[in-house]
Amino acid sequence: MRVTVYLFSGRNVPLCRRLSSGDGVLAGLADADTIFALSSGHGRCGVAVVRISGPAATTALRCMVGLRKHLPPPRTALLRSITDPHSKEVLDRGLVLWFPAPHSFTGEDSVEFHIHGGPAVITAVLQALGSVPGMRPAEAGEFTRRAFHAGKLDLTECLAHVEAFIDFSEDELIEDGVLDRVDISVCDLQAEINQHLKDERRGERLRSGVHVVIAGATNAGKSSLLNTLCQRPAAIVSPIAGTTRDVVETALDIGGFPVLLSDTAGLRDSPDLVEQEGVRRARERVQQADLTLVVVDSTILPSEVKQAGAVLLKHLESVLTSQEQPEAGRCLLVLNKTDLLPEAQREQLSLGLRGTSGLPPVCLISCQTSEGLKDFLTVLQSTVQTMCADPLSGAPTLTQARHRAHLQQCAAALAQYWRYRDSDLALAAEGVRLALTGLGRITGRVGAEEILDIIFKDFCIGK
Amino acid sequence: MSRMLTRKLLPVRNILPPVTKRASHVHRQRYDVIVVGGGHAGTEAAAAAARVGAETLLVTQKTHTIGALSCNPSLGGVGKGHLVREIDALDGLCGRAGDWAGIHFSILNRRKGPAVWGPRAQLDRQRYREFIQAELLSTPRLEVLEGSVEELLVTDPNPEEPGRHRVTGIRLANGSRPISASSVVLTTGTFLSGSLFVGHTVSPGGRIGDAPSSTGLSQTLRERLGLRVGRLRTGTPPRVLKDSVDLSLAKLHPPDSHPTPFSFMNTRTRCKPEEQLPCYLTYTTPGVERVVRESLHLNCHIQQDAKGPRYCPSIESRVLRFPGRRHQVWLEPEGMTSDLLYPQGLSMTMPPDVQLRLIREIPAMHRAEIHTPGYGVQYDYVCPTQLSPALQVKNTQGLFLAGQINGTTGYEEAAAQGLWAGVNAARWARSLPPAGLSRTESYIGVLIDDLVSRGVNEPYRMFTSRAEFRTSLRPDNADLRLTQKGSLLGCVSSARRDEFLRVKLRLQDAEAALRALTLSPAGWRKMMPGISVSESKNGTLSGMDLLQYKDVSFEMLASLFPEQLSPHIEFSERLKIEAVYKPHCDLSKREVERIQKEENMSLPQDLDYFSLPVSLSKEVREILDRFRPSTLGAATRLEGMTPAAVVNLLNYVQIAERKERMMNRSNAGQQEGRGEDLCARNASLPQ
Repeated sequence: MRVTVYLFSGRNVPLCRRLSSGDGVLAGLADADTIFALSSGHGRCGVAVVRISGPAATTALRCMVGLRKHLPPPRTALLRSITDPHSKEVLDRGLVLWFPAPHSFTGEDSVEFHIHGGPAVITAVLQALGSVPGMRPAEAGEFTRRAFHAGKLDLTECLAHVEAFIDFSEDELIEDGVLDRVDISVCDLQAEINQHLKDERRGERLRSGVHVVIAGATNAGKSSLLNTLCQRPAAIVSPIAGTTRDVVETALDIGGFPVLLSDTAGLRDSPDLVEQEGVRRARERVQQADLTLVVVDSTILPSEVKQAGAVLLKHLESVLTSQEQPEAGRCLLVLNKTDLLPEAQREQLSLGLRGTSGLPPVCLISCQTSEGLKDFLTVLQSTVQTMCADPLSGAPTLTQARHRAHLQQCAAALAQYWRYRDSDLALAAEGVRLALTGLGRITGRVGAEEILDIIFKDFCIGK
Repeated sequence: MSRMLTRKLLPVRNILPPVTKRASHVHRQRYDVIVVGGGHAGTEAAAAAARVGAETLLVTQKTHTIGALSCNPSLGGVGKGHLVREIDALDGLCGRAGDWAGIHFSILNRRKGPAVWGPRAQLDRQRYREFIQAELLSTPRLEVLEGSVEELLVTDPNPEEPGRHRVTGIRLANGSRPISASSVVLTTGTFLSGSLFVGHTVSPGGRIGDAPSSTGLSQTLRERLGLRVGRLRTGTPPRVLKDSVDLSLAKLHPPDSHPTPFSFMNTRTRCKPEEQLPCYLTYTTPGVERVVRESLHLNCHIQQDAKGPRYCPSIESRVLRFPGRRHQVWLEPEGMTSDLLYPQGLSMTMPPDVQLRLIREIPAMHRAEIHTPGYGVQYDYVCPTQLSPALQVKNTQGLFLAGQINGTTGYEEAAAQGLWAGVNAARWARSLPPAGLSRTESYIGVLIDDLVSRGVNEPYRMFTSRAEFRTSLRPDNADLRLTQKGSLLGCVSSARRDEFLRVKLRLQDAEAALRALTLSPAGWRKMMPGISVSESKNGTLSGMDLLQYKDVSFEMLASLFPEQLSPHIEFSERLKIEAVYKPHCDLSKREVERIQKEENMSLPQDLDYFSLPVSLSKEVREILDRFRPSTLGAATRLEGMTPAAVVNLLNYVQIAERKERMMNRSNAGQQEGRGEDLCARNASLPQ
């Protein structure tokens, strides 16, 4: 069923009031369906988030949460029983949040259910939503598309204003300050885009997992660490056989976040061709990793702390070759085999290395005795959590690398607007045009050309 | 250069009489091309057809109105100026006529960037007509005939090709023998079933003071050829006696101190800078709005629902759509010695006495006298989606349409179509394949593509925002984009070709000289202390790179390197523009190539979209059947086309093309291997 209730009454709202986060009235015009999806990623996790966006979002509150008369206060979590709208069977008990338009991430009326993460519960809730009239499951990337649709409308309007100024201002009376309003809109949109871009690939990580790579010299205990992590009952989901014989990947769930853990070949110079290839791939993995666990055999470190720090820094440099310097939060240093160290040296390392500048967080563990493992897991979990951020808050996440690329193009094009704003309006307008094309590629409304682009790229046709 | 200007401008004197002398009878019974109508489209069409080599006849009701400016006494503007430059690059008339007749030159949008500069001029009506008439007279192979066309002669549809007619000539109203021709170009403007409106009075006609055209033509188009027509309206303001206007109450608007000619062939205009006349700007008052409201019941034109131009609205629609606001009124000179003013923005159709009351509500005109009242025109136009990109009617071989008959408004839009229809009419008559202009290379291409692939629902006017590749389609480089092409088509004189080649080579030399000047960023900083030169990737920057900077002019570089650069000072402005825009144009090259590829994939005109064995929705089939896009690119731009439909259509076209190629290849075996050639020719020739 198509719901086409959105009114044109918002048309006269001045541009400057319609900030780019999206005025629901216009944002909804083209997307009158209400969509829903599991937005916390697949696989088992502690809490699952189901998002609903569109004009019929409140229907879900009314018929599934028993909020028949009063909608809950906006943006406030309520603990409710979630029931099947037809059988009235209680499906789960969870948090319910209500985001009225335009203050939601799609700019439309939105609702979130935070439910228990078991597949049976999730399936039941999604099926129940599907039975509500006016709702359908979201297509891939549709939430993001909707979120940017509002921005695209604003940009379309911007372009129209610039064009009007170019084509008519000399002949006819164009209101003063048209360009000032365009400036404000472009500014807002730039700020919003930058915020999306700053999310550090959070969305992608949520979708496909945080890539954690274990790296280090041979015999440092990398495989032991992998095994230790995998053997923890809470962590194990399913070990997948690696596609390459030298990189083993395991999907894990760490504190509710999907993690893809890879064990790599030990890094060392070797005359063996197969091993060289393994080392090359290991380095490649490290480059692509979101988080690298650098494992070091603690028994080979000098007993003096300062010297140990220097050795570790040098070692890190050789492992993380391509990264200019270990970014904050991108690397953990794991000193293994602490059971073989004298008690005093362990203490010294643990305290002394913490203050060494340039070193990432250091964890001392023993895979043999599981000593320090609990602390290590806490650090790992909080790092992963920061990387994914809290999926329940914040801006819409860019769930696809493709979206990020288009958004970057859009940001660059908007910069062109400012570069030429005062000297050459034709080139400034060109910037807005290009930005619109970039956004159009995310919102999927530039359509035909996109497809032809791919066709002309992949096939040799035409003359 | 000045020699060229004199040569072009001299022959005008004392040449008007021969035009009428020649117009009394025709010299032959058969022409290659007959052009019907002597307005902006007709004159460009006739001149272009003759230039390309066709024996051409121009038929018009009154020879002395050839080249008349029926409405505003001006040429060019934003978007429209681009068209004038392109018409000139193809050796059309209107740019040179503008330089001859202009009495107030200005470049609009001067501060908004060279891509959107709008060359514009106020014209002397008399001088403009003189120039056009003299030019037509001196064009070899072109004859002019005064007369009214009674009938368009077409053959019955060919049973082999259902629905296909062929044009054979025309018959005049005075019952004389038919005149036959291979091609006929109709440029009847507002005369196709035209009606004039003043107050409650409605009379047949297309322009005040001219006889209405015969109804026979309109009938042939509608009934015989079955063409879909629509109705549009337009209007013109009253002309006001200059002496009766108190210009001290309006704001003086001076011209540019140095007039910029429209034509690439001219370095100066006929009018000297100091001889130019000013315009005046004034505004409507609440009284104007009151008079409009009080007289609505007396205003027949405004009550009709034919679509009027949104972008050149009557004063009635302006105050009704935006009440409570003041609207601009430009008071423009009508000529060097004319005692009339043209109040642009006051197009109106109320009874003459009310018109007088209305204009007197404006302070500067509180005692104004009207010379000729304003009036409205409603007229038929042929839905232009029934035309090919050569502006030929798809179902009638040899019949071309140009100008307002295709739903456009404006002199420049008409002239552009006229020129291209004239070129193609001549090519058709000589059995040459149609010539196309892409929207990636010209505004004329944008105009024609918009018309034939999307149609119009209001009078179509050119804007720069219609051109996707605005940064490369600039007024300054129209010659580089089009003159060579025009030369290959034969529609450019040898003098223009030579001048173009000279300019092109000199520009190349100048660019080479600029590129050869390479210094380190530090070196440039030392030479030009005021400029914040940024670092470069390869360590050096060329003069071309430096010219991109906002505050660097060619003259500055020339004073630093006089030996290398001062020979090129003639092109300083063009070089500066080129330097700034080149990087942006390079960026859009890929997009241009994509569009050109799509435009190269032609869709057969006789395709039966309803039985096509492809997965297409009923709606899409209807759209395709209605618009019959000539290329895949045109299909993509149709409203209502879905991406999936485009892909399915593309697949079909590819398979069909492959089959055809295979067949041609096997034929080629028998025909000495000329298969590929034939294939290319078949694809572009209308069957």
